[in-house]
Amino acid sequence: MTRGGKPTVIRILAVLALIAPLFAAPARAFPDGAPSGKYSDPGITDTEITIGLFGPQSGPLRNFGYDPMWAAAAWYDMVNRYGGIWGRKIKLVTDDDKCDPTTLNTVVRKMVTVDHVFLLNGGSCTPAAVSAQEFVTREKVPFVMLNAAGDKAVFPPTRYVFGAFGGTQLTVGGTLIDFVAKQLHFKRIAYLGNDDDFGAANLAAAKFMAGKREVQLVATERVPANVVDLTAPMLRIRQANPDVVVITAYPQPATLAMQKVSEFGLTMPIVAAVQSVPNPAALFKNVNDPAAFKNFYYGSPLNDLTDGPGQQWVLDMYKRAYPDRTPTAFMSYGVPSAQAVTYALLLAGPNPTRESFVDAMSHLKFETGIMAGPIEFAPDRRDAHNASIFIKYDGTTSTRMPGVYVNEFRGE
Amino acid sequence: MDTLLQAFEGGVVTGSVYALIALSLVIVYKSTDVINFAGGDILMASCYIALVLLVGWGAPYWLAALVAILGGFVIGAGFDRLVLERIARRARGQDIMIAAVIATIGLSYVLKGLVRMLGYADEVRSLPAQFPGRPLFLGNVIVLRQDIGIVLAASLAVAALYLFFRFTKLGRGLRATAEDPRAAALIGIPVARMRMVIWGIASALAAIAGLLVAPKILMTPDMGIIVILALAASVLGGFTNIPGVIAGGLLLGILENLIGLFVSTQAIAVAPFLVIMAVLVLRPQGLFAGAARMKKV
Repeated sequence: MTRGGKPTVIRILAVLALIAPLFAAPARAFPDGAPSGKYSDPGITDTEITIGLFGPQSGPLRNFGYDPMWAAAAWYDMVNRYGGIWGRKIKLVTDDDKCDPTTLNTVVRKMVTVDHVFLLNGGSCTPAAVSAQEFVTREKVPFVMLNAAGDKAVFPPTRYVFGAFGGTQLTVGGTLIDFVAKQLHFKRIAYLGNDDDFGAANLAAAKFMAGKREVQLVATERVPANVVDLTAPMLRIRQANPDVVVITAYPQPATLAMQKVSEFGLTMPIVAAVQSVPNPAALFKNVNDPAAFKNFYYGSPLNDLTDGPGQQWVLDMYKRAYPDRTPTAFMSYGVPSAQAVTYALLLAGPNPTRESFVDAMSHLKFETGIMAGPIEFAPDRRDAHNASIFIKYDGTTSTRMPGVYVNEFRGE
Repeated sequence: MDTLLQAFEGGVVTGSVYALIALSLVIVYKSTDVINFAGGDILMASCYIALVLLVGWGAPYWLAALVAILGGFVIGAGFDRLVLERIARRARGQDIMIAAVIATIGLSYVLKGLVRMLGYADEVRSLPAQFPGRPLFLGNVIVLRQDIGIVLAASLAVAALYLFFRFTKLGRGLRATAEDPRAAALIGIPVARMRMVIWGIASALAAIAGLLVAPKILMTPDMGIIVILALAASVLGGFTNIPGVIAGGLLLGILENLIGLFVSTQAIAVAPFLVIMAVLVLRPQGLFAGAARMKKV
């Protein structure tokens, strides 16, 4: 398997350099900043800070959040082993939100009113995570989403909610076009996406970036998630005679589209979004035609292949924490939110309040050593990540393409 | 012209699968007055039975398919025997239609839940094509061998069903039960057992449709949603008219592709529902049924 990216050692050193200040004992690192012993917000004492960590641990959407949540827990555990933050150990209260809005709301309310957490770090599915927005805003509780990345969760931005560490659909749509224009140098693009709000956001960014990069969307087909026959949309795409087909649909319609690529003998390159290809090997098996993968690329918000050198330190951390588990491809997605919480707590000083934590989050910018681009918030920005890499896949070999691709569209 | 013919070809293939599923709904409805909303999920569960046997146990395809069809039969017959029969007994002659329909919705959720527990539902899956090989070309129209196989197999299943109902003793007993259960009971036909067999046969038919279509539409625990398209085909053809339902399935498949091609891809999703509403408003007995009849109650 070919792997791209910078040498692992440099990446690990970069990450260690970033997190090194956390692990110094506070009395030595910050002599005048010892905890005061008086706290206006719940969930914090001289020795402990309580974080509510949650994600889907059961139910049909468990895969989205099980490994990410325990990867975040492994990160917090590592921070504790190095002395905690400002001398305080992180205490986790964990729960299962099932990716269900009602369950997530119950979990959040329990964590805030019964467990008295200082902040919330959780949620892997946007509809569920969005449902807690009103409560956390009213109660003024910081809510750092685990790996939920839907645009609705962070657009328009609200003070207490931070998320999209994997990038929203604006990022996915914008970076796809950036890659096609900059790396593949194609001008005529056919686009196949979802007909829901995910698809609308994705297409809006794709259109914006197409204008910016002076390329043309010659066909725009949007299909429902449960479509059973893609003959008509793929015929329309074939009629448009594009240089390249961009697929941003969910896995099932994306697979159906690839089957039609095979059936119609289409030879132009195919560039797929991360949500279209959760498992490249499964896609290849379902299409069962190597010719369809001659020129096939897919995007990823990570800095490398999931088992590439750029991801190795996260895999090692996870393996150390859970030797018996084999992580899924989503595992790494849980760590950046925990990193953000850790760094913001550090920046908020030895006596943090929920408000000073939110202020610190609002000015946070750092490299994760995991994602393709930096995590960056601002007073008017709550979506964390805006970059993708692309991987060429031919059914047996995955090769990281050079470069990191960025979306420049910030919504209406 | 080639594009139009290609869309037509695709429509005939998916339409024949809609027809097969619609047929499984209609034979249940004709015999028991129940619309089986779990029809799509019985199809889905049967496909996963085949998948588990193929992937988990390394069984040959013919055996996996046979067990999946038998599995479909057992699910349908078992549901009638264990649930519907008991509901009917407790209702003591009262109309059980609403309770039965809700029970089919319950069955649909139970099957989805069970399949998700299997460990094969975390990603999109597929069954191997029964008719693999290079596509054929009719002029510029591409025809997959699997597509030809689907249409032929669906036609064979319909023909076999027709012959079974027409020329076998069991088939005639089933028809008598469907036409008039009281009269059937009076001449000694075991009505309850006949209904159980009808549920079994209908579910086995759904399983066959699933095996045919799984390589083409792929498998997820939500693939049972295809039952909505089969319902649209049933309404289009006339819910009790078997040849009409087959024609309805084909027509819907073709209509979807033509709408997708000439109107908009997004319109494909609403086309079946528009068809249901339009037919119910303009010709409630369906396009291929005779004049509407009043049912004696």
